[in-house]
Amino acid sequence: MELNGFHCDAEGCAEEQEEEPKALRLPRSKTDASCSIIATPGADSAAAGGSALREQRVSKSTPAMLRLDSLKKNRPPFPWFGMDIGGTLVKLVYFEPKDITAEEEQEEVESLKSIRRYLTSHTAYGKTGIRDVHLELSDLTLWGRKGNLHFIRFPTHELPAFLQMGRDKHFSSLHTTLCATGGGAFKYEDDFRTMANLQLLKLDELDCLIKGVLYIYSVVSSGPPECYYFEHPTDPERCEQKAYNLENPYPLLLVSIGSGVSILAVYSKDNYKRVTGTSLGGGTFLGLCCLLTGCSTFEEALAMATEGESTCVDKLVRDIYGGDYERFGLPGWAVASSFGSMICKEKRDSVSKEDLARATLVTITNNIGSITRMCALNENIERVVFVGNFLRVNTLSMKLLAYALDYWSKGQLKALFLRHEGYFGAVGALLELPNPS
Amino acid sequence: YILKCTFPWFGMDIGGTLVKLVYFEPKDITAEEELEEVENLKSIRRYLTSNTAYGKAGVRDVHLELRNLTICGRTGNLHFIRFPTAAMHSFIQMGRDKHFSSLHTTLCATGGGAYKFENDFRTMADLELLKLDELDCLIQGLLYIDSVGFNGHPECYYFENPSDTQNCIKRPCCLDNLFPMLLVNIGSGVSILAVYTKDNYKRVTGTSLGGGTFLGLCCLLTGCETFEEALEMASKGDSTNVDKLVKDIYGGDYQRFGLQGSAVASSFGHMMSKEKRDSISKEDLARATLVTITNNIGSIARMCAVNEKIERVVFVGNFLRINTVSTKLLAYAMDFWSKGQLRALFLEHEGYFGAVGAFLELLKSSDDA
Repeated sequence: MELNGFHCDAEGCAEEQEEEPKALRLPRSKTDASCSIIATPGADSAAAGGSALREQRVSKSTPAMLRLDSLKKNRPPFPWFGMDIGGTLVKLVYFEPKDITAEEEQEEVESLKSIRRYLTSHTAYGKTGIRDVHLELSDLTLWGRKGNLHFIRFPTHELPAFLQMGRDKHFSSLHTTLCATGGGAFKYEDDFRTMANLQLLKLDELDCLIKGVLYIYSVVSSGPPECYYFEHPTDPERCEQKAYNLENPYPLLLVSIGSGVSILAVYSKDNYKRVTGTSLGGGTFLGLCCLLTGCSTFEEALAMATEGESTCVDKLVRDIYGGDYERFGLPGWAVASSFGSMICKEKRDSVSKEDLARATLVTITNNIGSITRMCALNENIERVVFVGNFLRVNTLSMKLLAYALDYWSKGQLKALFLRHEGYFGAVGALLELPNPS
Repeated sequence: YILKCTFPWFGMDIGGTLVKLVYFEPKDITAEEELEEVENLKSIRRYLTSNTAYGKAGVRDVHLELRNLTICGRTGNLHFIRFPTAAMHSFIQMGRDKHFSSLHTTLCATGGGAYKFENDFRTMADLELLKLDELDCLIQGLLYIDSVGFNGHPECYYFENPSDTQNCIKRPCCLDNLFPMLLVNIGSGVSILAVYTKDNYKRVTGTSLGGGTFLGLCCLLTGCETFEEALEMASKGDSTNVDKLVKDIYGGDYQRFGLQGSAVASSFGHMMSKEKRDSISKEDLARATLVTITNNIGSIARMCAVNEKIERVVFVGNFLRINTVSTKLLAYAMDFWSKGQLRALFLEHEGYFGAVGAFLELLKSSDDA
């Protein structure tokens, strides 16, 4: 179904059509006398719906809202956010409408306008917030609106500052649902309420992850391909990133590497299970690096790792065997004992911080690769997709994973990567906006 | 050439970190035999059995000695000795100084070092090694010790009520049938074997995050220098100050997938915060390192057990020597994550089975002669 000539995005449409009109969702506060913001139909709607809306703003009578809702087909009010509050980072996706009519703009509440301006005119927020411009999806159609999808992140420990900002900008007066996933949606639920008068719609992080992956993959139609793999990952001369067609994705092993790691076997869009996880994740890499090298950020740790050599830190098979361990097919260059050479004082004194950073990266990455391979084998799945912010700007780990999976599986398994890495949970949360809790 | 069952009887396992040596001391030497005995053989026997420490780092684990063992028609004591692989050249030197090669005995050796140091043995001490595979020896050694028992006591044990780390009890294990078993050998690195019968096994997988990782990281993070120091520190520390737990992220349990708030979500995850780094102790770091390595091994072992459909998981290797924190953690993890389906078993002679297996090979090859 279309509304005033506007097509719904396939995914958005499907969800809307299943739902009943949700007048009950607006407004949030029963005693609030301020205006509710209702998303309006597009520019060329001189239809009855338009004027009804304008009336709606003034009168706020419930029956009119109900009619409006059924006309709008459950389009949620702006702003449209999806939030994933993880162990280390908060990931935020924001939909910036680009099809705002002059009318709509006039009616727009100041705080909503200011939020939009603030988010889209900056690429950095405060000291630690960043908008990943290179990931922006332009000209996206979502629930009948056209606009850009923005990807923003900031450290979870800055959440209080974020809440403060939400309070100062009177976000709660916008009466919009704030869809949030990740552990922080549960941990900080009360803080959102008490500090910024905001009610969270809490969603499961793995549900959101999968929804987000499927959605983003389906809408990225131009620009760099969303899904890719590495050909000749360990050959610096020939290594190439190549596009991968994920149209028929099932079954898929999805490995999400954040502070910790979750491994999911996905059989269809509604059928998945969490196979296992490991606590040796991105947080371990960064935590150990900070301790071992004195660095303080992920970027610093990666920069050091790029310069270092892990073979003087690790004990390799050849250090123990003098060559290959042929009987069980272990090549001499394979690591027998990570950090194993560090039991010797002489060796400790001879390695650099960069070597230690590299060894930490290699150890964590290879452990994840090894566990992943075991899962893929057991679940009988050949395609493995790695996501999560551990892989952000971390081609070293991606190539290692690509190589390890290919080598140890003798070419049976393929490591795949997605450009939007760590944002899928937030996208999945955004997609829940039309659905009530 | 014909291998003779002449003394001395040694079995050697030259690992990545430690050399494990088993030595059979005959106690049934007749007066005649004693008269005939070559001087250097006597001196070797005296040196080994009258000391419990050798040089700076050699140790004889007296508590593991097997007494009155009868093997190949001889009765005696089996001694268990270890020293760092880093001291290998001193050991070979000693072999040369004591004219070991003149004894014309076969030196059965396993572990990577049997290959790595083969030439050194030849050139420095004129000794020829009979090289054996470390996993073959591990299994044969384990089966042998289990069959002869530990001075009348069972070799194998487990923990009852592993979830109660304070009060869980060590209990002897009477296995009617060892097979099939998942054998997890934790040395510098880890090998995981599925053992179906005494002659049928496969190496399922391994992990490079082993005992060497624990010690290496501890030395770097705390300034300690030995395994004993590292364990000492770990026993006093609290890893929850270092690790990010599920409750630190969720504010409680992650109920949807059955993850308790107390489970570790991200090992060392708190250490990205400067404030937290400044507030923890070296003991906390040592504990976190121990817990991280141990739980990772446990997790991988459990996955293998499930895939291979094996319920008995036997943990061996010197990472577990004097390391009750890890043995209890492994016992707990196997039990908890499998909801009681899997059982963790341990063996008293921990890291010596490879050397025993090599020792047995010596006797077997002389049987063939």
